Amino acid sequence: MEKTIDLFLDILATLATLGRVFITIVLSVVTGWLLAYGAIKNKIFENIYISLAEVFESVPVISFFPVVLIFFVYEIGGGLGVELAVIFLVFTAAVWNIWMGIYQAFKTVPEHLVETVENYKLGFLGKMSKLYIPFSVPRIAANLIPSFADALFYITVSEVFTVGVRTYQVFGIGTLISNYVAEGDYGDALVALGIFAVFTTTVTLLLREFASYSVDRYGLDTEDTHLALKRGRFRVRYSSRLSSAKAPLVKLAKYVNRPISRRPRDAIEDEEKRRSFPWGKLGAGIGILLLFAMAYSAFLVVRNVTPSTWAYLFSTLPQDLVEIGVDYLRVAVISLASLVIAIFAGYWLARSHLAERIVIPIIQSISAFPAPAYFPLLYGATYPAVFNLLHGYTNEFYVLLLGFISTFYYVFYSYWLGVRNMPHEYWELMDNLKLSFWQRMTKVVIPSAFPYIIAGLSSTVNSAWGGLAIGEYWPDIYNNYNLEVRTGLMKELAIADANGQLALVGWLSLIFAIIVVAYSILFTRRLMDLARKKYVAEEGIYSA
Amino acid sequence: MAIVGPSGIGKSTLLRILGGFIKPTSGEVRLMGKKVTSPTPKIALIHQSIATFPWLTALDNVKLGLKYKKLSKEEEDKIARKMLEVVGLQGFENFYPKQMSGGMRQRVAIARALAADPLVLLMDEPFSHLDELTAEGLRQEVYNMIFNEETSLRSAVLVSHNLTEVLELSDRIFVLNNRPASVVGEIKVEMERPRNPKSKEFQQYLDELYKLLTPIPKKIKEDGKND
Repeated sequence: MEKTIDLFLDILATLATLGRVFITIVLSVVTGWLLAYGAIKNKIFENIYISLAEVFESVPVISFFPVVLIFFVYEIGGGLGVELAVIFLVFTAAVWNIWMGIYQAFKTVPEHLVETVENYKLGFLGKMSKLYIPFSVPRIAANLIPSFADALFYITVSEVFTVGVRTYQVFGIGTLISNYVAEGDYGDALVALGIFAVFTTTVTLLLREFASYSVDRYGLDTEDTHLALKRGRFRVRYSSRLSSAKAPLVKLAKYVNRPISRRPRDAIEDEEKRRSFPWGKLGAGIGILLLFAMAYSAFLVVRNVTPSTWAYLFSTLPQDLVEIGVDYLRVAVISLASLVIAIFAGYWLARSHLAERIVIPIIQSISAFPAPAYFPLLYGATYPAVFNLLHGYTNEFYVLLLGFISTFYYVFYSYWLGVRNMPHEYWELMDNLKLSFWQRMTKVVIPSAFPYIIAGLSSTVNSAWGGLAIGEYWPDIYNNYNLEVRTGLMKELAIADANGQLALVGWLSLIFAIIVVAYSILFTRRLMDLARKKYVAEEGIYSA
Repeated sequence: MAIVGPSGIGKSTLLRILGGFIKPTSGEVRLMGKKVTSPTPKIALIHQSIATFPWLTALDNVKLGLKYKKLSKEEEDKIARKMLEVVGLQGFENFYPKQMSGGMRQRVAIARALAADPLVLLMDEPFSHLDELTAEGLRQEVYNMIFNEETSLRSAVLVSHNLTEVLELSDRIFVLNNRPASVVGEIKVEMERPRNPKSKEFQQYLDELYKLLTPIPKKIKEDGKND
């Protein structure tokens, strides 16, 4: 009887967690439509929106933590505050892929279709329901798998969080598993994980089907131009189409196909605008309001911090920079390991259709299954053996492992996509010219997949931060063991959080955000620009 | 020689079977008596969608054709430069494909194929993505280019929809038609080169080709329904 109740509780908790994820996804989609429409109608709003989204996209969820704590937990408070805090945290993990996907879709609606709806004088609702929303469906569907995985990754750790002596939690599978593990109830934890796995796998497979269906139903024939190159060689329906199913590709598309600039028809539109609802002005207004709100909240934070606290915060700066340096080293190790494995495994899979049809859905399902949920059990099961081997480096190994399993998927999937999207002519040429494995890799495959690799690496780096944020300081991960590294900014952040030192949390988050954004501008974007300039395989195929 | 036929009849598939890219369900392909089971540099394929590598210069693109020979860098460089010269691209060695016109890119692809010392060149509508003027110019040159004494080539197989092009370049033309596809005719072209498309003889060959390519009327069953 008790077992049945437990099982029922597990299912209920899984549904609660998945419910939260879907609420955030629906929220992301609806807000994404409105924001994207505002962006295509108003240049000022577009610039603000896209710049902010790009910055926030490159900042790990952990940076939003102080905002969440201050606003939702303290200002709103109670069960509702905690519930909203969790949803907001997950929202910040899942929203960017979807927003960017919708924006990209709206920006690339074919000119002739826009002219047609203009011609028939459709209003806002008409244009949205007949053109923009249907056109964005394949991209949204494609982004659901990674967004679902991202959201789940964070929800299982967001459902329970501690600030000082207070622990906040909401009902969900993350909380349940965490409680089982804390009580040493490992059997129940495993059962709960099993039930959760069944649900996440089912949802992932359903999302795959939906992505495939939505391309068939809403995709334009003309969108297939580059995919058409694969016809006759690859089974496009199985994976490639869905493959647009990945964040890196959307990011890539953003870079590779620069959104068309303001179109000539806008001149006519300006005339039309005067007679219709001023969406453009509303968009500009929202943009300016957003900037103002951010500036004001920054001002409030600065005003409320005493000079002595500022002095203390500044004094921690040298140590903070060392810690972030060590963390970047960890991220580099994780990314490099992911990349090396991805390069070989991705190529092998792209060559073997049968293996690909079996392995890709499995990898997708596993990646949707959040590492933080099962990691304590993995830790518990393997700790003695690993400790015997690595001694003092055991915890370091586990932190890197958590980073790796949270992130490998991104670079792997992105690279695999790049290999799959290689023009079929290149495959034939490589065979025809009898290139060796290394020649294939260095002269053709890696250069072809380079933009995808960069996009994937950028996602990997961001997710690796998520893994470190969770792994660097995990008290009582399993049976009174603490997972803890010696040095690391993420550990420092977690400890400051746990001690309720919000000023320090804010300060560390700020330094972190500045460095991450600088890294993105100086490194990732430069590589992306190089990829766009030189390594676009499609440009190697001349079809006038 | 050339293969012509209506769209979708399987010309490109046949070409890929000849090159060892696709395995035939029955029959076999032999080159100099030896069975062709997989792609080989001895049978080089030139694609309809002109395929070059945008991150490699024209010279490096051509060098790819030599990799299987494992030559020294100097030798690779020398042969690749010679092949670019053969296709008329001397002076463009360090240009990237993006800096070249479609016609020049196709010359790079031909040079790459020739660098591999092929015995047979398979050309899948090689001029179809070029504008008519460029295609005309390249057609005039391609015969001399590929059967140059600097190359190892013994034979070329051209797939095309353009009957004038086919008659200008080929000595034998195989016409595919019907469903399932079969060879419905073989024409031996015995005109002297260079061939003049305006000549009477050329027009006669053209008429003969058109006749063979005219859609075969579907049989009407007794009840009046289409077969």
